[in-house]
Amino acid sequence: MALLNRMDWYNLARTTNWTPAYVTEDELFPPELSGGFGLPATAWEGYDEPYKQTYPEYVKVQREKDAGAYSVKAALERSQIFENADPGWKSVMKAHYGAIARGEYAAASAEARMMRFSKAPGMRNMATLGCMDEIRHGQIQLFFPHEHVSKDRQMDWAYKAYDTNEWAMIAARHFFDDIMMTRDAISVSIMLTFSFETGFTNMQFLGLAADAAEAGDHTFANLISSIQTDESRHAQIGGPALKVLIENGLKDEAQKRVDIAVWTAWKLFSVLTGPIMDYYTPLEHRKQSFKEFMEEWIVAQFERALTDLGLDLPWYWDKFIADLNDTHHGMHMGVYYWRPTVWWNPAAGVTPEERNWLEQKYPGWNDTWGKCWDVIIDNVVDGNMALTFPETLPMVCNMCQLPIIGTPGNGWNVQDYPLEYNGRLYHFGSDVDRWVFQQDPARYAGHLNVVDRFLAGMIQPMDLSGALQYMNIAPGECGDDAHNYAWAETYRAMRELKLAS
Amino acid sequence: MTEAQVLQPLKTWSHLAKRRRKPSEYEIVSANLHYNNRDPEAPYETSPDVFMNRWYKQNTFGSALRHADWNAFRDPDEVIYRTYNLMQDGQETYVFGLFDQFNAREHDVALDAAWANRLAALFAPARYLFHTLQMASAYVGQMSPASTITNCNYFQMADSFRWLSHVAYRTVELGRAFPDAGFGRDERAHWENDAAWQGFRELTERALTTWDWGEAIVVLSLLVKPAVEEAVLRGLGESGRHNGDTLLGMLTDAWLVDAARHRRWTAAFIAQALETEGNAETIRGWIAKWEPLADRAIDAFCAELPDVVDAAARGKAATRTFRQSLGL
Repeated sequence: MALLNRMDWYNLARTTNWTPAYVTEDELFPPELSGGFGLPATAWEGYDEPYKQTYPEYVKVQREKDAGAYSVKAALERSQIFENADPGWKSVMKAHYGAIARGEYAAASAEARMMRFSKAPGMRNMATLGCMDEIRHGQIQLFFPHEHVSKDRQMDWAYKAYDTNEWAMIAARHFFDDIMMTRDAISVSIMLTFSFETGFTNMQFLGLAADAAEAGDHTFANLISSIQTDESRHAQIGGPALKVLIENGLKDEAQKRVDIAVWTAWKLFSVLTGPIMDYYTPLEHRKQSFKEFMEEWIVAQFERALTDLGLDLPWYWDKFIADLNDTHHGMHMGVYYWRPTVWWNPAAGVTPEERNWLEQKYPGWNDTWGKCWDVIIDNVVDGNMALTFPETLPMVCNMCQLPIIGTPGNGWNVQDYPLEYNGRLYHFGSDVDRWVFQQDPARYAGHLNVVDRFLAGMIQPMDLSGALQYMNIAPGECGDDAHNYAWAETYRAMRELKLAS
Repeated sequence: MTEAQVLQPLKTWSHLAKRRRKPSEYEIVSANLHYNNRDPEAPYETSPDVFMNRWYKQNTFGSALRHADWNAFRDPDEVIYRTYNLMQDGQETYVFGLFDQFNAREHDVALDAAWANRLAALFAPARYLFHTLQMASAYVGQMSPASTITNCNYFQMADSFRWLSHVAYRTVELGRAFPDAGFGRDERAHWENDAAWQGFRELTERALTTWDWGEAIVVLSLLVKPAVEEAVLRGLGESGRHNGDTLLGMLTDAWLVDAARHRRWTAAFIAQALETEGNAETIRGWIAKWEPLADRAIDAFCAELPDVVDAAARGKAATRTFRQSLGL
């Protein structure tokens, strides 16, 4: 053999811890950035990443991946997939790119924090590649939607969303900034890679890729499944860090970070991914329901991953499982109701056929969410469009930054979970959101949610026009019904038929 | 609402649309990507005074190095992720081709044992040195106020990992040819104890704990890296050629291709920095503060390269020539 095998030299390339002499270990690895949990560097040298890749392998494999993704895009550029796509599917793409592209780019810096500040040399090298991955995901998810900016002003939000105070973006930033931008290296590895990327990105990238392939959007399907092959590598950065913590008697600290990140990720997905899977994706292209995807990718996967490591299921697991039936339906209705404040056109997704599907996937849907939609549908059919838009402010949770919702119908159960802290009254959508706040109140207490800002007079004039201006969203960008209410014709016809009989 | 008030589609992102020029792929995917400059009170969407918000307010946005629009920075090579891998996969094919060919002709066996011992002390421990470059680039990248500057540093971080990987690879190979020279075993001891490395060790440990973004990027790009490149890449490579180690010279030359690219973006960065009044003095102040440390690192390392004529003097002069070429 003229060339060495990778494992001949891999270990040496991650033998890079040394004892600093001109500065102290705490100066080289400040605890607030490093997250050493009081453990010396030597404790972290046993860190062993399960997915091993070298630099030469990386640039080769990634070159090939990009060649694949970009050539599919080039080949399909004239195929008019975007032009001919169902408006609901376009909304899926708009919501996805806006909430994801620059968030992924930001994750490069979260990876760079692990690279610079982790005391585990193996983690530092894997995070080097992880950082590169996230540059890829930021750049490729800007390049692909850019093709469509000249066709649709809302596509500008693939770039613009992160610069705005649009309410869903405040929620997205609050989540990502909390788990990845403002944490120490080890916490990033647990909260971003283990808790978020292991399950939730699978859900977004593989679940959505399945729907995209069904919808004939092969460029998008190919893009996001290619991204997931990177995620599945660097998502494994967190597992061995959890192991080190558990072996050193720090299971509670590890568990707490997992529990916080999984819950807050779930809430963001309930507004971002739930509606697009169960309402925007055209019925005939839905592979599974959001709940079924969640059960497969999140529930089963996490239960396995947590058990393997010796961690417990989060204390709220039963509530989480139960909420899979409800939360995203409420989020969808909220988004639809407030549609001028989002950068995509929400599809109502409530034709009789779609309602049958929802009832089948979520037994009782017609008796709960369906009752509210009946009112909206009647208003649309009657031409009372003003009544299909909101007049009052929602209550917004001070943790997830999303409306506080319950399930309508006979079991109407909406509840605020308040907490007074340092003289200010905070509102939460669940006891879990409140629990997250209580784990580190100083981290969250100084933040204002969008309604707090409204009440503080930061949004002027204090009406919808002021809110839109504050969110930097204008006509041409503001969302409206994806199908321009064409779906209501069926209900109009049904009503006329009923009257005639 | 009149039709005129409805925003129409643009030809590119709104932030690039104000200019008439069609943006390049580089600009579309690289420019203005950080979002932590929205609110001066809270770079990130949590309590304004959490540790990391204070850290960015102080060290990025409060740095003494100032510019009204760092986002105007453009990498002269316009490297994006896609082209980085195209470029470096090609470079790796070249380097591993060298490894393969030199191995086939039993290059290491032909090396002098005394030279092998010097490689064990002066080449193999560079794994640690390059790792400090990897770490320092990662820090400067995460603290940079513009994504175009960040990206240059992240690619530089990956390049440093590349150099480290080659050293690790060669360390194992050399260890097989010279099992008694301590390859793969003694690098940490050399790095921590040998006089040759203590200058670099002090320089890099202090650079790694320089938190102000402006000072950190200046120290890394104008002091630390030039010192490493002149003393270790060029000096050691030259020494290799004097000792029949053709492979080492070709390897360090391959690294210098990366280093030349790093210097190109550094030159563009300094040119931009010098547009703002006061920055020249600030940068010169940092150079004055760090140059003695960088010089000592070059001196200590080059003292071990007696077969390279005037290694230290030439190395130090070259770092100054580079800085002077930037108007500093």
